Amino acid sequence: MSSKSKRPPPDPVAVLRGHRASVADACFHPSRPILFTGSSDGELRIWDTIQHRTVSSSWAHSAAHGIIAVACSSLLETNKIISQGRDGTVKCWDIEEGGLSRTPSLTIRTNSYHFCKLSLVKKPVANTNQGDGTIDIELSNDSRGERAKNQEEDSNSFEDHLQGGLIEETSVEGLKYVAMAGEQSSEIELWDLNTGERSIRLPQDNFVGSIKQRGMCMAVQSFLLPGSEGFLNVLAGYEDGSILWWDIRYPGVPLTSVKFHSEPVLSLCIDGSCNGGISGAADDKIVLYSLDYPTGSCIVKKEISLERPGISSTAIRPDSKIAATAGWDHRVRIYNYRKGNPLAILKYHHATCNSVSYSTNCKLMASTSEDTTVALWELYPPQT
Amino acid sequence: MEAAAAAKRKIEVESKVIEKVGEVIREIERAKHVEQVICALHSLAVLLFPIDSSLLSGSIDEHYKDQVIIAKVHAPNERDDWWRAFYQGAAFPTLARVLLLDVASNWLTCFPLSAKKHSYDVFFVNGLSTEVVQVLVPHLQLTSSDVFDVNVVQSNVERLLVLCLLDNDGVFKMALDLAVSPHSEDTINERLKSVVSRVAHIVTSIPDKARLRAPPLLSSQQAITDKSEMDVNLSFLGEIFSRIVRRGSSDVLLSEVTPQVLRHVRSCLSSNTDVVDTDVFESNPESQFWLKIMEAITDSYTVERIAEQLLRQLATEHASDIEAYWVLWILFHQLLKSQSSVRSMFVDKFLLWKVFPVCCLQWILQFAVFECSPIKDLWTKGHETTNGLLDIVQRLAAVWSKRDFVQSAPLEQQAYITAALGLCLEKMSKEELDKTKDAMHSILQGVNCRLESPADLVRKMASTIALVFSKVVDPKNPLYLDDSCNGETIDWEFGLTTSEKVSLSVSNAEKQIDETGMSTSATLSKDLARAADGGKGIGVKSKSKKSSEFSLVDPDEIIDPATLNYESVSDENDDDDASENSDSCDSSLQPYDLTDDDTDLKRKISQLVDVVGALRKSDDADGVERALDVAESLIRASPDELTHLAGDLVRTLVQVRCSDVAVEGEEESAEEKRQRALIALVATRPFESLDTLNKLLYSPNVDVCQRIMILDVMTLAAEELANAKTMKPKHQKGPLISNISEPQPWFLPSNTGPPGAGSWKEVSDTGTLLNWLIRNERELPLKPGQVKRGKTRRWNLRSGNIHESQTEWSQNKFPLYAAAFMLPAMQGFDKKRHGVDLLGQDFIVLGKLIYMLGVCMKCASMHPEASALAPLLLDMLRAREVCHHKEAYVRRAVLFAASCVLIALHPSSIASSLVEGNIEISEGLEWIRTWALHVADSDPDRECYTMAVSCLQLHSEMALLASRALESAETTFKAKTISLSKGTIKIPNSNIQYY
Repeated sequence: MSSKSKRPPPDPVAVLRGHRASVADACFHPSRPILFTGSSDGELRIWDTIQHRTVSSSWAHSAAHGIIAVACSSLLETNKIISQGRDGTVKCWDIEEGGLSRTPSLTIRTNSYHFCKLSLVKKPVANTNQGDGTIDIELSNDSRGERAKNQEEDSNSFEDHLQGGLIEETSVEGLKYVAMAGEQSSEIELWDLNTGERSIRLPQDNFVGSIKQRGMCMAVQSFLLPGSEGFLNVLAGYEDGSILWWDIRYPGVPLTSVKFHSEPVLSLCIDGSCNGGISGAADDKIVLYSLDYPTGSCIVKKEISLERPGISSTAIRPDSKIAATAGWDHRVRIYNYRKGNPLAILKYHHATCNSVSYSTNCKLMASTSEDTTVALWELYPPQT
Repeated sequence: MEAAAAAKRKIEVESKVIEKVGEVIREIERAKHVEQVICALHSLAVLLFPIDSSLLSGSIDEHYKDQVIIAKVHAPNERDDWWRAFYQGAAFPTLARVLLLDVASNWLTCFPLSAKKHSYDVFFVNGLSTEVVQVLVPHLQLTSSDVFDVNVVQSNVERLLVLCLLDNDGVFKMALDLAVSPHSEDTINERLKSVVSRVAHIVTSIPDKARLRAPPLLSSQQAITDKSEMDVNLSFLGEIFSRIVRRGSSDVLLSEVTPQVLRHVRSCLSSNTDVVDTDVFESNPESQFWLKIMEAITDSYTVERIAEQLLRQLATEHASDIEAYWVLWILFHQLLKSQSSVRSMFVDKFLLWKVFPVCCLQWILQFAVFECSPIKDLWTKGHETTNGLLDIVQRLAAVWSKRDFVQSAPLEQQAYITAALGLCLEKMSKEELDKTKDAMHSILQGVNCRLESPADLVRKMASTIALVFSKVVDPKNPLYLDDSCNGETIDWEFGLTTSEKVSLSVSNAEKQIDETGMSTSATLSKDLARAADGGKGIGVKSKSKKSSEFSLVDPDEIIDPATLNYESVSDENDDDDASENSDSCDSSLQPYDLTDDDTDLKRKISQLVDVVGALRKSDDADGVERALDVAESLIRASPDELTHLAGDLVRTLVQVRCSDVAVEGEEESAEEKRQRALIALVATRPFESLDTLNKLLYSPNVDVCQRIMILDVMTLAAEELANAKTMKPKHQKGPLISNISEPQPWFLPSNTGPPGAGSWKEVSDTGTLLNWLIRNERELPLKPGQVKRGKTRRWNLRSGNIHESQTEWSQNKFPLYAAAFMLPAMQGFDKKRHGVDLLGQDFIVLGKLIYMLGVCMKCASMHPEASALAPLLLDMLRAREVCHHKEAYVRRAVLFAASCVLIALHPSSIASSLVEGNIEISEGLEWIRTWALHVADSDPDRECYTMAVSCLQLHSEMALLASRALESAETTFKAKTISLSKGTIKIPNSNIQYY
C-alpha cells in the first residue's frame, strides 16, 4: 500500500475567487449545482459549481459584522437559504432568478453575538429509507457501480419524498428549526423558522447553573434520531472541550456529557445515518465517535492526533465514506470515515481554513479560507 | 730545639736553592746555544725532580750530553726539601719569570721535544700547583709594550696551563694541597682562607684572561669535579663554584654537575626499587659530598644561579619527577632548612618572579612547598599539607588577582603563575581553602577580571583556575566555563612555549590584533564556507535519499496485483465485515502522499515595515527569526521607504536579543544575520543609519556586547563602502597632471605599461590587515608573437581582457561618508555616564572604537577627506588616557589607528600642508613617531612593541615620500603662484576641486 500511496495529493479542481474578505462558510444547494458562500465582510455569494462563476453577490449582513454561517437543507424549501450574521440576526432568503431576494423573507433577531455556527436539523438518510434497507445491502454485493447509482437514486427519492413532505406540511413542520447558541452564550436556542420565534432553550432557566461552568457553546448540531418520532436531539460542544447530548423532551439535563477535548470544541458533525460523527476542536486531535441510542451514550471510535492544533470545521460526506477537516494550519485533511486513517493532506490555502462542506451528490467538496478563496475539490468521487 | 734546627736547615736549603737558581739564570743569559740552556735547566731540574737524564740525552749533542749525565743528583730525601724550598720560596717565581719570558721567546722553539718536556715543562707540571697557577695566570695578560714576543709568550702560557690544569688534574691537586695543609691550626686557617680565595679567583679568571683564540679547552677547566672525593678541601671547591658562577658561566658548570648528580640519583633509585627514602640518600657518601659542597657555597647569588640552572638542565635532560625531586633534595634540602634566604628564593623568586617550564614548576612546588616526594604524595594527598602551602596559595592568589598584574605582566609570567596557583589548588581540600583568609576571595576576583579580558589566553587561564577551584570546592560538580577545557588533564602551558615567543614576528602580531579586532569578518567567511559545506552536505544527503528511494522500487520485483488487492481487502474485512453495509469500494480510498512540511505556514515578510514590527515583538521568537532571515535582502533591495525606516530599523536590529530568540545552538547564525542586515543598512543608507547608530553607541540603554557589535558593523560597513564596485567606462588617463597628484595610492605601482594591461590588484595571501608586504599583480596583454594555447577556443585573445580593463572600475564610496562615520563616534568617548565608561571598565569598546576609526581612515586613504580627518583622529589618540591606557588592547588599537593614518595620508597633501604652514598634520605625525618610539622602548606588551616598530617603519617610508613630494612641490609652487591664479583645476575622479 505504501508504494502505491506515493502519488501527490490533488490540486483543487477550481478556485472561486471574488470575496474580498475571509470566507467564513460555504454550503451546497441540496439539488442544484449551486454553492453559497458567506464572507466576514457580510457578502453572500452564489456560485455556479459547473461554470465556476459567481451567479450573484449581495450584502446579506453589514460589512462591520459579517457572516458566520450559511446553511441550506433539503428539509427546507429548495429556494431558501439561511445566513447567520455576527450582528445578532439570522436571515432567511429566497432564491430568485439571478440571485437572492432583495429583502430576507424572515429575519430572526437572536441577539446572540458569538462564534457558534447555526445548525439545521439533520435527518438520518437510512431512516427515511428504512424499508428498502435490506435491498440496499443485497445490491451492494453485486457491483459498485450499481450500488452507487442506487444510492443516488436513493437520495433522489429522498428528496422527492421530502418535497412531498413539504407540500403536505405534516411532520416536516417539526424539522423547520434552527439551533444555535443563544443570547446567553452557554445556552442553546431553537428557533422556529416558520414563525421566527424561539421555541425552546437548553437548558431551561432553572437548570442553567451546571452548564454555565462549561463556558460558551461553540458548536451545535441538531438531528433526528432514527425512529425518534420527530423529536429533536442536539449535540453541543462547549468551550471547556465537553460535548453534551440533549433531547429536547428533557430540556433540563442533557442525555449524556462527554469530554473528548481539552480545548473548545469548534465543530461537530453527524454522519448521514446519524449514528456517529466527528468533532474538531482547538486542541490537536480529531475524535470520531458513535452515538448509542438505547443507552444514550457517546463513545469514542477513534482519536486522530494532529501535528498542529486547531480544526475549525469538519464535514462528513453524505455517503459516510470520507470526512474532511479544515485546519488552522491552512490544510484540509481527508480521512477515511470508517477506519479513521488519513487519506490526504490538501495544501492549497495559504491562510486558515474556515470550513469544509460536501455536496449532496458526494462529488464536490468546497473549502473556504481566510485567504478569501473558495476551493472546489474532487476526491475519491463515488463511482457512477 | 728540633723545630729550630728544622727552620735553620730550611733557611740553609733555601739559600742554596736561590744560589743555584741564580746560577742557572746567569747561564741562560750567557748561553749562546740552545744546548747550553737545556743543560743549565736540566742541572736544576734533576735537583728537584726525579728525572732520568738519559731521556734527554738522545736529543742533544755529544758535548753537552756528558754534562747532562754528570749533573749532580740529590738523594730523594734531600730532593723533597729542595722542592719545597724552591716552590715555597722566592726561587720559583724568579725562575718562572725567566722561563716564561726569556726562554719562551728566545729559546723554546729550538728545544727538542723531550728536552722541552723534561727540563722546561717539568718545573710547572710537577710543581706546587697553587704556586704554579699564581705565577702562570698573570702572564696571560702581557701588554704588548714588552720587549718579548707577546704571542709566543702567551701561547706558551696557555699551553702550560692546559698541561697543568687539565692533563694533570691541577685543580684536584690544588684541592688536595689545600686539604693536606694543616687544618688543625687556627692561625693558619685565616691565611689559608685568603690563599683559597686568591687561588680560586685566579683559577676562575683564566677563561676571561685567555685570549679569544685560546684553546677552548681552557674554559672547560671545570672538569675538576670529576674526581670528587671526601678529603678535598670543600671550602675551596665552594669558592671555585661561586667564582665560576659569579663570572657568569653557571651554565658550563651545571652542564657538568647536573648529569653527575642525576646519574647518582638514578643509580640510587634503581638499586632501591621499592622504597626510596631519605635515609638511602643521606647514608650515601656521594650524596654527602654534594650536600657539603652546597653548604660550602656561602654566596646566595651563586646558590640561586645554581638552582635555576639546575632546574633548566633537568628539564632539558627530561628527568622524571622523582629523579628531579631527589636531585633537588640532595642539593638543597639542608639549605632549605637552615637558610631562610634559600627558602624565600624557592618560594618567592622562583614562583613569582621567574618563569620556568611547567615541569620545573612542578618540581619546585613538590620540593619547596609540598616537601614530599611525588610518590608519597599519591597517598597522602590532602592530609598533611603544610602551612607553607596555604601561605603560598594565599600569596599566589593575591598576585594573580591583581588587575595590574593582568594588565602589565607578560603572558608567560601570567601563565606561569596561573599554573603555579592551579597546581597548588589541585593539592588542597575544601577545608584548607576555607582556612586561608582571603585566597578564595582573591581567586574569584582574579577569575572575574580575567574573564573580561579581550585576550583569549587570559580568559582561558581564568576558566582553568575556575575549574580547578570548583573541583576543590565540589569535586563532583566541576565548573566548565569554556568548552575547550573539558578534558581531565589541564594544559598548564596554555600553549605557550618559550621557543614560540622568540619567533613571534611582526606579521604574527598583526594577525593577532586582526583576529581580536575584526574576528567578525573571519567568522563571517568561515560561516559562509560552512554554509556552502552544509549545502553540499544536504545535496549529498538528498541524493542518497533519492538513491535509497530508487532502491525501494526494485524493477525485478514481481508485484502481484492480486496479493495487494487481497491484502487491502482482508485488511478491510477486519472491522468492516461486521458492519452492515460492507461497501467494498473503500479499497478505492487509497491515501495520497501524506508527507507534510510546515514551510508554507511561516508567514513571509516582504515589507520592511513588517520586519520592524516583527522585530519589536520580542515574545514572538519565530517572527523575529523570520524577520532576521529576510532583513538583509530586503534592505539590499533598497526600497524608497528605507530612507524613512532606516533609523527605526537600526534601533530595533541593535536591540533585538538574538540569544533569546534563536533556538539553542543557532544563536550564532541569528547574530550573524542581524549583523549582516545592519551592515547592509549602513552601506545602503549611511547617513540615516549612522545617525541612529552613533546615538546608540553612547546610549546607556545598550550593553557592551551591543556596543561592540555596533562598532563591528560600522567597521565592516566602511570596508564594504570602500570596496564598492561600480561599472563605469574607464577613460584613458593621460599624464595631464604631474605625477605627485596622481589619483592613485602612493603605495601602488604606477600604471605605466603596455596598453591593454589590466589594473593592479592586490595579492592577498595572508589576509592580515596590516600587511606591509603588499604585493600587486596585473594581467598583461600578450606580447606580439606570443600565442596563448588553451582547450577552449576564444574568438579574440585580447578583447575580453581589454574590455574588462576599460569598464570595470572600482570606486571608493566611503570618503563621502567618512565624516559621518568618524566624527560623532569620536565625540563622546571620554564622557563617563551611567553604564558608559569607555576609558575605564569598557576598554574593549574603546579599543574597538579606535580600531574602527583606523579602518575608516584606511578606507578613506589617498582622499582629501583623509587629510581633513586625520588631525582630529590624532587629537583623540594623543589624549593621555587613550595612548597610555593601561590595557594593552587599547594601546594596540591606537598603534593600528596611527599606522592607518600614516597609510591614509597622501604624501603630497602632507607636503602641501607643510608648505602652507598648516602644522596640525605635521605635529600629529611627529607625535606618532615619538610615541611609537616610546612604546617600542618601554611597552611591556610584546605585540605593542612589534606594532610600534612597524609603525615607525611606515612613518619613515611616509616621511621619505613626503619629502620627495615636498621637493617637487617647492619647484611647482613657485610656478603655481604665477600660472594657477586664474582658475580651477579639476582632477578627474575626485570629488574635490582644487583652486
